[in-house]
Amino acid sequence: MSGPGIPWYLAVAALLFSIGVAGVLLRRSPLIVLLSLEIMLNAANLAFVGFSRLFGEMDGQVFALAVMAVAAAEVCVGLGLIVAMARRNLALDVDTLTELRG
Amino acid sequence: MIETPHVDWLALAPTLALLATSGITLLGAVLVPRAGERAFAVVVSLGGYLASAVLAAVVYDRSADASAVVVESMTRDRLGALAAILIALTGLVVTLVAAGDGRRSHVGEFYALLAAATAGMVLFVSAGNLMTMFLALEWFSISLYVLCALDTHRRESLEAGLKYLIVGSFGSGILLFGCALVYGATGELGFQAIQEATGADDPLFVTGMAMILAGLAFKVSAAPFHMWTPDVYEGAPTTVTAYMSAATKVAALVLMLRILVTAFPEQAEIWSVAVAVLAVCSLAIGNLAAIAQRDVKRLLAYSSVSHAGFLLIAIAANNPDGGKALLYYLIPYSAASVGAFAVVAAREREQGRAVTLDSLAGLGWERPFLGVCMWWFMLSLAGFPLTGGFLGKLFVFSAAYEAGWWWLVVIGVLATALSLAYYLNVVRALYMRSGQAPATGAVVATGGSPPRDRLLDTAVGAALVVTVGSFFFVQPLVDLASDAVAALPF
Repeated sequence: MSGPGIPWYLAVAALLFSIGVAGVLLRRSPLIVLLSLEIMLNAANLAFVGFSRLFGEMDGQVFALAVMAVAAAEVCVGLGLIVAMARRNLALDVDTLTELRG
Repeated sequence: MIETPHVDWLALAPTLALLATSGITLLGAVLVPRAGERAFAVVVSLGGYLASAVLAAVVYDRSADASAVVVESMTRDRLGALAAILIALTGLVVTLVAAGDGRRSHVGEFYALLAAATAGMVLFVSAGNLMTMFLALEWFSISLYVLCALDTHRRESLEAGLKYLIVGSFGSGILLFGCALVYGATGELGFQAIQEATGADDPLFVTGMAMILAGLAFKVSAAPFHMWTPDVYEGAPTTVTAYMSAATKVAALVLMLRILVTAFPEQAEIWSVAVAVLAVCSLAIGNLAAIAQRDVKRLLAYSSVSHAGFLLIAIAANNPDGGKALLYYLIPYSAASVGAFAVVAAREREQGRAVTLDSLAGLGWERPFLGVCMWWFMLSLAGFPLTGGFLGKLFVFSAAYEAGWWWLVVIGVLATALSLAYYLNVVRALYMRSGQAPATGAVVATGGSPPRDRLLDTAVGAALVVTVGSFFFVQPLVDLASDAVAALPF
């Protein structure tokens, strides 16, 4: 096998996952939060594909393909919600979503 | 010629029936004239849920031995079948509750999404590998995100939808990364194969297991992963809240039991402690926060967090009695929870505003039937005798005691005592005469209160029958539960 070894793939995946988690927790724009959620899912995809190569089996790659479809569906719903909120002139800032609390 | 795998259609039938229901109701939204749209969707949905429950009962009857179906992506056993029956019946009752709501837009879509979410949950509880688990989880979660935000004219509903989407996807992202790590440590996706492949306490494997547990804890709304629960339960349409509080909890807890016992039995020492910690956090946070609530939906949301704690005690026990207690407890819990939210929905429709403990005042006099039902639901949730909730808690505690978790039992009993404060507070509010004159705005129409909603009354009555009936017919239900748990390799 040429190219970097499996620990590197795992390291990049873990780094991407951490970036995604940090993005969800720290950023305020729902668009960026959605983007960060996608990064989290794709970090897992990278790990799946890397491990799949390591074991020489296809099931990890099939999983990754299915996750891509799920991620697309999720982001569709998310963007739809954001558009619905924008139409109602609601502030697009997750820190100001405080109508519900207590 | 590509060889196709053998498909066990009977095992898939409960899911497929609901998917068909979803498709037909969605078509009805386009093809059926507007006047008959609601009636069409309700009738088709009721038929679909009933068919799914009956098919799941057939699966239960014919699956005395657990078997892996469709290339081991699914398990056909009595555990999944019993949970599927419970979820489908929850869908049935929620449809009855929803039939009388004043929804003017997205009528067909509402019922289609509800059926789609139920189909996903029915598949989820019988998942046999990590991929089916993740896909089914997202299947019902995405449907629920849309359902929460379906009242697009209400700002709270949109906010609840977005919050649930962000927190829910965060949870499933963690779950997915955990799946990737477990796959990396074992090279397997099937629950059974994962169990056979391990043996060493590989850090990669244990981290993956912990992340899967955390991801599921988001769905169960166990503290400290519960922060979305009160906001989403309050903002979502009340019928959707009723559905989520019962069905999502059944699905997520049954799958949590299944994956922990099937795939990770050798790590039981680690995960049972983790589950016990989740249980204690949920009991403490759920009960303490519920006491401070005035909004009834938020109060019931925190109550559902605390019930997640009781149910997690049953999982932490890690013995057949624990599994049995979990399945039994879920029956009266689901009924009481759906019933309580249905009463809240009825009050909300009457008054056209959010239901607080103050606006609940007098319900017991104005609507004696709903009042008495709500009273029983609260007693069942609190765990009084003559309700199923009492026996559920008893079974959970005895299973935990048997497993040596005596301090967990002590915390559970303390939490039960604490929970009386807010459950009885609701009962007190029901029978209080409201202080102000009824002439505050358009609260009461001239000529008395609005007509009774027969379908909603039927749903609440059915929930009451299950809540009380599960106390008197405990033995048959416990037999069902113990047959279901026999499928798991304890």
